[in-house]
Amino acid sequence: MQDRYISIEGISREYPAPGGGTTKIFDDLWMSMSRGEFVAVIGHSGCGKTTVLNILAGLDAPSSGVVIVDGKAIEGPSLDRAVIFQSHALLPWKTALGNVAYAVSSRWPRWSRAEVNAKAMAAIKLVGLEAAADRSPAQLSGGMKQRVGIARALSIDPKILLMDEPFSALDALTRGTLQDEVRNICIETGQTVFMITHDVDEAIYLADKIVLMTNGPGARIAEIVANPLPMGRTRNDVHRHPAYYPVRNHIIDFLVSRSKSFDSEIAAGKPWDSRNPPLVNPAIPEPATLAQVAVAAGAEQAQATQQVFTQAQRRRTT
Amino acid sequence: MSTFDNPFDTEGKATKRCGCSCGAHSTQAEHDAAVSRAKAEAEFLKAGEDARVRRVVEAGLMRAVFPNPVQRRAFIKAVGATTAAAAIAQVFPILTAADALAAGGVPEKKDLKVGFIPITCATPIIMAHPMGFYSKQGLNVEVVKTAGWAVIRDKTLNKEYDAAHMLSPMPLAISLGLGSTAVPFTVPAIENVNGQAITLAMKHKDKRDPKQWKGFKFAIPFDYSMHNYLLRYYLAEHGLDPDTDVQLRSVPPPEMVANLRAENIDGFLAPDNICQRAIFDGVGFNHILSKEIWDGHPCCAFAASKAFVTESPNSYGALLRSIIEAAAFASKAENRKQIAEAIAPANYLNAPVTVLEQVLTGTYADGLGEVKKDPNRVTFDPFPWESFAVWMLTQMKRWGQLKGDVDYQGIAKEVFLQTDAVRLMKEAGLTPPTASTKTFAVMGKTFDPSKPKEYLDSFAIKRST
Amino acid sequence: MTQSIEVRASLVSALILVTFLLVWHLAVTGGGSGQAMDPEYAKLMGITATQGKSAMPGPLDVGATLWGHIKDPFYVRGTNDVGLGLQLGHSIMRVMAGYLLAMAVAIPVGFLIGMSPLMSRALDPFIQVLKPISPLAWMPLALYTIKDSGTSAIFVIFICSIWPMLINTAFGVANVRKEWINVARTLEVGPLRKAFTVILPAAAPTIVTGMRISIGIAWLVIVAAEMLVGGTGIGYFVWNEWNNLSITNVITAILVIGFVGMLLDQGLARLGRFVTFPE
Repeated sequence: MQDRYISIEGISREYPAPGGGTTKIFDDLWMSMSRGEFVAVIGHSGCGKTTVLNILAGLDAPSSGVVIVDGKAIEGPSLDRAVIFQSHALLPWKTALGNVAYAVSSRWPRWSRAEVNAKAMAAIKLVGLEAAADRSPAQLSGGMKQRVGIARALSIDPKILLMDEPFSALDALTRGTLQDEVRNICIETGQTVFMITHDVDEAIYLADKIVLMTNGPGARIAEIVANPLPMGRTRNDVHRHPAYYPVRNHIIDFLVSRSKSFDSEIAAGKPWDSRNPPLVNPAIPEPATLAQVAVAAGAEQAQATQQVFTQAQRRRTT
Repeated sequence: MSTFDNPFDTEGKATKRCGCSCGAHSTQAEHDAAVSRAKAEAEFLKAGEDARVRRVVEAGLMRAVFPNPVQRRAFIKAVGATTAAAAIAQVFPILTAADALAAGGVPEKKDLKVGFIPITCATPIIMAHPMGFYSKQGLNVEVVKTAGWAVIRDKTLNKEYDAAHMLSPMPLAISLGLGSTAVPFTVPAIENVNGQAITLAMKHKDKRDPKQWKGFKFAIPFDYSMHNYLLRYYLAEHGLDPDTDVQLRSVPPPEMVANLRAENIDGFLAPDNICQRAIFDGVGFNHILSKEIWDGHPCCAFAASKAFVTESPNSYGALLRSIIEAAAFASKAENRKQIAEAIAPANYLNAPVTVLEQVLTGTYADGLGEVKKDPNRVTFDPFPWESFAVWMLTQMKRWGQLKGDVDYQGIAKEVFLQTDAVRLMKEAGLTPPTASTKTFAVMGKTFDPSKPKEYLDSFAIKRST
Repeated sequence: MTQSIEVRASLVSALILVTFLLVWHLAVTGGGSGQAMDPEYAKLMGITATQGKSAMPGPLDVGATLWGHIKDPFYVRGTNDVGLGLQLGHSIMRVMAGYLLAMAVAIPVGFLIGMSPLMSRALDPFIQVLKPISPLAWMPLALYTIKDSGTSAIFVIFICSIWPMLINTAFGVANVRKEWINVARTLEVGPLRKAFTVILPAAAPTIVTGMRISIGIAWLVIVAAEMLVGGTGIGYFVWNEWNNLSITNVITAILVIGFVGMLLDQGLARLGRFVTFPE
């Protein structure tokens, strides 16, 4: 069913506790992602979402377990996995173009300055910033800065895009615009994306799958929500879809109560296997499988989904 | 083969004469001819005086080892000239022989640096520069003004200076390792005799009896100075213990006048132009001249390390001849005005000519409204009497600077080079004193240099026995 | 409005200066008249004694002396008497030699300390002990071991200017934003390139602040060091003129020292503005 492009296998992360001993932030996480998939992780602060992302980026290492990407265990940062940082993390002494060019020249060290600048400029154009390419980060608005961050990540043609709450620092209007753009770019390029977010609507709009994490310490992946909304969803109509509120309510229920009580659910005898967290579709009664989701989605939606897929494939091949 | 031939030349010149390497004796034409004849000769000429002397010695040695010229050439041809020289050097210390030969010849080092402190005591060292006494001896001397006695000591110890102006007890202290590491130092010549004074602040003009000075603060230029010993002697003779009844402080000369003006000190026994400068600026008056304590006392010395004296005997000799001749010139009263003008500019003492004239001519304002005349206020006599050194050692011992048994005569002989001075004064056409020791009186009390211990015992106020 | 405040500020500055010069002038021109003296005696005395002139020079004396030095800054009248410009040149050369040497040591070592918590802790006690030592306290030791007064002066400049640069470099490097480092890491940037393209520019404002503190200290210390060892330099000039009790020249030198110190400071302030990035 899945090509396990990214496979997180039983990772945990411990930190020294203030009073001695260690605290396990999260424990025994298993999940996998296939190529071209957009996965969002939702959980309360302190559940270790960012640590998981850092482990995927190679900036941090798990205390136990392993992450395998494309058949190889992660041993450190790689240009194949680009990170979009929450705080944009632009180098303030470089211009917008300079920041992107820095990434490009790191990716292709032998390229001439002209080649590097051309590639960087293409990425800048992708996020619509060509007019501000020569400005320094201090002269850019928050949204523009994050666009530069996205351009920098995309400029190196990464195999995987890792996004750490990329839109959380932006105002609602900018956030919306940027979400649209990122969604379009990801669909067009068939990017594999791992995103961390606090925003349920953002997750539903952008992600194919939404991973729900229980509270830390000792956080786990409680379940993985398969997004039932059609591929052709837009931000203006997403909330009108019949499956929207069931999904949204399911996730909010989880965040409000079940993220705390999940451990007692298991203790109470709920069947759950950490190695194989359940894939749920809140639009239909559980237990659900991906096949059922497809059936339940209905002919009209399936058709719409099919259209978007073929469009995307057509774009990719051209 | 001449003394100056290259004994390592294998080209069969053993019988030829070549005057080119004789330095001063050869003409330029002969010289040029020699250069074109042989490369070895050219290199040899370039090597200069030192190499020439060395080569002469090597030549002598080669002849001594191989009296037959044919054998000599064969040997050098077989092993090479450098190896031959090295082999000879193994069995005979060539440098030592070269030194012996060099004595009385051309200076080893012509560019010399001599440090001085800007006070009139340094007159012979300073005036020898503008008035040409150094250049007359073929020396190119740079006289460098220095910030203080400790610095001049360190710079001379560090060989930044080849020789320096020091307070005459300093070379004794350095040789004994007092206040610095022990390095053998010498006093080839005294610079000045007399020329110091006790100056008091104007507010004390009615306290002329030292018995009224209890609690006074006095400045002296340095611990190892005649100023220190003379002031202590003077105070002790008047019944004041210099360590308990008054305070003595080492103060750099320029600060003395400023401190006197600020009333931080009550007076000082200081080198001149400082004393006269205080009067000139109206902040002090002359209590007594140092000659009233001991007429003919030494003050500052021309000092050099023993290493300089033995390693560069010719430079040392030339330098000393300059100082002795300058001192001889300065000892004549009629030359003093001219000297005052020569040493006053900023490059030398950097002091008003009026002040220097008063010091050097001995016609001076006393600060109390009178003009005094004393042609012997300062005079210049380079002769480094060993008995001076013995007296200084007794005072070092008296005030606890020196502890344990002291070999007064032995140290005096090591440091004060009386014998050299006799020889060099003769060379300079001057008449050295005929007596071998000098007895003198300090405040009426006769000092017998042969009985330092008894002298020391006779004092009531002292730190050690 | 901003222009008017600048204009008003310069007016107030000018007023303060004029008042100060006037007060100074009046303070030194007053004073008692000369005492009656025998003319023979008076000839041997200085004007402070004969005319009751203040030992403190007035602003006009200082101005004239300053103008004299500015007109002819590069004369050489012997080893111990060279122009003020040359003296300044000697001092600046010494400061630059010691300062550049200190930079060459402090910045790499600061990098090491800033990047390695181990080295930071290991070297900390040494830095803490050595830092508060007055630079001139090193002078006797330097003279004794180096055996050259010129080199000793340079060493003293070196030892006094090294600490602010070292500490600031270490601090700047240690506090480079983690996310910038992470950017470099995710881009697989090598350690050397990372040091030059991320850490150095990020820490540059802090490093230049340290350099600015250092040059100020170095310029303070060179004057004192040259007064100690003498020979050449602006400090020697002060000492030499003090020796002659020429307060006029001492004040002139003080003004010049202040002016050069300001130029050095402004130069580094400019460099600071150049490397500072707005965030």
